[in-house]
Order: sequence, then C-alpha cells, then structure tokens
Amino acid sequence: MKNKAIRIAAIVLAIYLMLGVAFYFIAGNSLHYTTDSSVRVSCKAALGEFTEGEEIRQSFVCEFDDLQSLTVMVGTMARSNRDEIAVEILDANGAVRFSTTLPTDNMKDNSEYAIVIDPIIENVKGQHFILSLKSLKGTRGNAITFYYGNSVDAGRVDVPVEIEDTEALYLNGTRMTDEDGNACELYLKVGGINRHWFGPAYWYVYGGGALLLALYLLYLVRCHAKGKKNILLDVFRSFKRYSFLIRQLVMRDFKTKYKRSVLGMLWSFLNPLLTMSIQYVVFSTLFKTSIDNFVIYLLSGIVCFNFFNEATNMCLMSIVGNATLINKVYVPKYIYPFSRTLSSTINLLLSLVPLFIMLLITRTWPTEAVLLLPFVLLMLFLLSYGVGLILATLMVFFRDTQFLWGIFSMLLMYLTPVFYPESIIPAQFMTVYKLNPLYHVLRFMRSILIDGVSLEPKAYLYCIVLCTLPFVIGVLVFRKNQDKFVLNI
Amino acid sequence: MIKANNVSICYRMTRDKIQSIKEYLVALIKHKVQYEEFRALDGVSFEIKKGEVVGIVGNNGAGKSTLLKVISGILKPAEGSLEIHGNVVPMLELGSGFDFDLTGRENIFLNGAILGYSESFLKEKYDEIVAFSELGDFINSPVRNYSSGMVMRLAFSIASMVSPDILIVDEILAVGDAAFQEKSYARMMELMSHGTTVLLVSHSIDQIRGICDRVIWLDHGKIVAIGEADEICDQYAQANALS
Repeated sequence: MKNKAIRIAAIVLAIYLMLGVAFYFIAGNSLHYTTDSSVRVSCKAALGEFTEGEEIRQSFVCEFDDLQSLTVMVGTMARSNRDEIAVEILDANGAVRFSTTLPTDNMKDNSEYAIVIDPIIENVKGQHFILSLKSLKGTRGNAITFYYGNSVDAGRVDVPVEIEDTEALYLNGTRMTDEDGNACELYLKVGGINRHWFGPAYWYVYGGGALLLALYLLYLVRCHAKGKKNILLDVFRSFKRYSFLIRQLVMRDFKTKYKRSVLGMLWSFLNPLLTMSIQYVVFSTLFKTSIDNFVIYLLSGIVCFNFFNEATNMCLMSIVGNATLINKVYVPKYIYPFSRTLSSTINLLLSLVPLFIMLLITRTWPTEAVLLLPFVLLMLFLLSYGVGLILATLMVFFRDTQFLWGIFSMLLMYLTPVFYPESIIPAQFMTVYKLNPLYHVLRFMRSILIDGVSLEPKAYLYCIVLCTLPFVIGVLVFRKNQDKFVLNI
Repeated sequence: MIKANNVSICYRMTRDKIQSIKEYLVALIKHKVQYEEFRALDGVSFEIKKGEVVGIVGNNGAGKSTLLKVISGILKPAEGSLEIHGNVVPMLELGSGFDFDLTGRENIFLNGAILGYSESFLKEKYDEIVAFSELGDFINSPVRNYSSGMVMRLAFSIASMVSPDILIVDEILAVGDAAFQEKSYARMMELMSHGTTVLLVSHSIDQIRGICDRVIWLDHGKIVAIGEADEICDQYAQANALS
C-alpha cells in the first residue's frame, strides 16, 4: 500500500516537472517580455495638407518599460506624394532620443503608419516625450496629412477625452482645437515593451516549486502510511471511491439531455454556432464593431460564457433537485454539483469543435499557444464549480436564489466582454471591471486563439487568484452548511 | 457493530416556513423569526451486535425513520455520538434513484452506483439482477415505457442484490404480483438470515415478532423499551390496545 502511494506521488511530481518545462517553451517570450500599445484618442478629422516648413508637436507618455514604435494615421489624398517627413523624439529635457526621415511615397491612404524606433529606447516607463514631425519637401498637391481627435470611439457614442494644454497637439506652435474650441491630440498609438522579472527567474521558481511539492508529497505519503488524517488525502480517497458514481451521474446527464431530440448531440455543436450567427449579424450590422476576427472573438466568448451559465444553473438545482435521493442515501453532497459541472464540461469540450472549425475557416491558424487551453478551461471549471457550490447552498435556504441568479447572470454577461471590445469601458471603471474573473478567462482564451500568444505573467496571477477565490469560498460555504441540507430540503 | 450514545436530533422549525429572502427579512424586522425546537430523537442509546436482527416499533412520528437516517449517515446527530463498523446499505423507497428516460440496463448501473455498489460488482451481478426482475428484453427499453409493477420489480432486484454488513429496511418490501411478492419476500428473508446485521422498521407487529431477535420501542423520540422481541411486542401491543 505504501509502495502504491509512493508511486502516485512520483507520478504527480513527474507531471509537475514535465508540465513546468513544457510551459516554459509554450509560453515562450511572453514570460520575459510582452508588447503592448496605448491610444488616447480616436481619429476624428485630418489636419489638411502638411507642407514644407510646417511642424507638429505632440507630447505623449510612455506607459511601458521600453519605447518601441509610434503609429500615426496618415492620409495621402489618394495619391502618391514625394515628400519627406523628419521625425524627432525629444525627452523631457529636450534631448533628441531618436530621429529619422520618412519617405511618404509608400504610405497608404487613411491607414496607420508605424514609425519603428530602432534601437528601442529603454527604461522610460512613465516618462514624457514629445514627437516632432516636420515636412521637408511638401507642397500643395504633393503632401500628406495626419489625423487627430479628442474623443474615444465607444461603439455608437464618442466619449470625450480631457486634454490639458501640455497634452494638446501643436501645429506650428499654435494649439489645435475643434470647432467648439476644445483641445485635440494627434492620433498616436504608442507601442512598447514590458519586461517581466518572472521570465529570468522562471527556473528558480520552478525548482522551488518542485522542492516544495516533493516535500509535501513526502508528508502526504507519511500521513497515508501512518493513517493520519489529512484533508487532501480524504478528498483523493473520496474521489477514488465515488468515481464510479460520478461517472454514472455524468453519463445520466449527458444521455438524458438530448435523449428525445432528433438532432441529439449535434445540438452541442449547433447551439454556440447559431447564437454566434445571430449575434454576429446583430453586432456587425446594427452596431459597428472594430474588433479584428470578430467571428472567433464572439464564438470564444459565447462558448465560455455559455459553459459558465449552464454549469452554475445546473449546480444551483443540484441539491434541491436531488432532494429525494439526499433524503434516502448517504452520498457526499459535493458529488451532485460536481457531476453537474463535469457534464457541462463535456458540453464545453464538444462546443470547442465548432470553435476550431471556425478557426480553420477564418484561417486563424492555431499556434503552440493553443496548448495553454487546458489551463484556461481548468480556471473556468474551478470558477464555475465554486460559484455553483455557493449557489447550491444558497438555494437550499432561499428559493429566491434561482430568480436572483437569473438576473445576475444576465448582468454578468453584459459586464463581460462577450460581444463588445473591452476598449469601450471608460478607463476609470477598468479597475472594477477587471475584478470579473470571466474577463480574465476570455482575455486568455482570445489571446491564445486569435493572437496565438500567451499573456504576460501577471495575467496568470490575476486569472488564478480571481478564479480560485470563488472556488475556495464555495468549498468552505458548502462544507460548513452541508449537514443542514437534509433538514431544509 | 452499531453503538449509539445519547443521540439527539433537533429540527429547528420556524413557525411559518420561511423560504424566501424577502419573507426572512420581513420576519427579521418584525422580530418574528421564532424557532420551535423539535426533538425527533432525544437521548437515544443502544448497542447492536453483529448479526442481530433488530426491529424498531413505535407510532407515527415516534422517530423510527429518523433513527434509520442517522444510522445511514444522512443525518448527523446534533448531540451524542454514533459508532458504526461496516458498510451500511439502505433499502431505498423503491425506484427513487431511477431516471425514467434511461433504459433498464442504464438504470441498473446508475441506481447501483447510488447505492454504493462497485462497478465490478454490478457487472458480475448484472445477469442475476435482470433474471430476478423477470424483465427479459424490456431491460433495453426506457423505464418510462414500463408498467409500475415492472419498475418495482427492477428496483427491488437492484436493491436486494447486496451483501452489506448492515442492512436498513424501512418496511418489508413485497412488490409486484402474487408470485413476485412471494419471491421478493423470500429474498428479503434470505438477505436477513445471512449473518447480516439488520435494522427493520415495520408497522406489522407479527412480522417483527417473526423475524427480529430484539426490538427497540420508540415514542416521541425517546426509547420506551429495548429487549427480547416477544416481550417488547407484547408490551407495545398492550399499550396500543389501552389507548
């Protein structure tokens, strides 16, 4: 018996060691640094022809560790212009940190033009800079123009941005304003690199984790051999003992779900696809969306949110709905919500199939980052199960819970960027907005599928903390109250 | 085998059953959340040895079913302690774990799993269960197509295919037509005679007298008497005749 315990412990450790190494290579550069960009205003109007001798100055703040690129929106009046633009980036002391001359003949009309800063300007987080653009050869009929604005495009409405005098756009030394006299800013996307300490320190963290895990496993094996009580061991044994029952309950849910429908299991594929189609039509025609690859954006959001919704609603009824059984046979009560969450998970895995088909159709080729999907799904599972445990407990004591949750989950859907871009949320609400665990799950999911890269290490931390917290709370609440269930159902 | 030490169960009942937050808040503001303590079991102590067949008698609401629930682990004693050695299998109210959309075969595994049987045990006993239930080819069609007698037969076949250390029986189950009733009665007797510890609740004094070694007489959650089956049954019958 002890040998078996040691073998299991060794397997757990080996899995950790393997996953740790695999993760380092899958997550790749994003552990060391990630690129990011920030925009203050959307394009509203163009300056007019930018001719020889004219100069625009725009101050900006670099929010990243290193400054890598500046992107402006140019207009070429639908022609090829043979002007040259002198670019200078000055720091707060007026020193020139970067300068170059850009030809204008290869610029495309009404599109973004990236000024690549090579070599990058390092260690400038939070520093103020001024971008100076001068036309060297521009004449009437042979000049480009730049776009500017003073608001942020938030779907259907424009949210005005407050612009201080020092932040405004200056053309030949005079402040640019719109017709109402409000200050404007050049459309400027600041691109930079954030470096993370986690990347260089990864192998130390990994080694430390391995050591702690090994010690803890050793402790567990000792506990097991001596017959000492340990919560983790109890959980493990209980799962082993009731795995057959859990399997039967999951199979029951799955078999009965589509039992008498003609299309049966196909509904698991069709459901997300049809929801996506409807929302796609609604949001791409009625509301203008500026999201790249909107199909995948929408579908990944729907698949995740549907799972959360289904799992929590099934958990909600899992105790009350099994009242007759709970009154007759002793089965650990966590099994009822757990089996419900598991059967929703099977549904989720099935609905990943149409998601991957759509990935292929839209030619969004998966990269190795797709291997991080199990992490996202695990987080989503923990979150849903945790919330489900809380709801199942509440439901026993207050039957209003089901109606309240119906409303609350709808609210949550609008608070989660399922079908809109997160950029429409005003910056001052972002801190609160980011407390929504589903936001982080979706952000991860989309980064993995659409951009094909892992997120920065901090994103893992947020995701893990915000998803495990409801799980831990759920387990505690459920454990504390489970003995009272029988008396109340 | 089973040792109960001063076991009590309290139901805290609100006078009017509050089941919504609104009602609760209103009651709270009015200082009207009053609880009535109801003792379903009150200081019950006894000891049952391995292999004993023990009957429990008492009028309605005496706490018989509550006692069975405590022993099966469904209810936790509010006070006192309970020691149980061996696995407990309850004879369920028949068919309460059935899913009517599943076939008989699927229900055998589902219901068996709920009762705590292992997968290998169920696979081994599967043919025996089907044979005992006399369902034949019906086993592969959904339970909703069964007659009520067939459902009972299947449920009984699953429930009785056990060899637990402690068997809990709430009323002897004799179901189906006359022939099957005889068969199921015989099966129950066989189960009880295999050195299994049995706890039996029945309203039929004759049954208890016939099967049990000892009897516990409960009234209003308290033990009135424990002792030899014949002796207690006589006392109980006398008390009932008087009132």
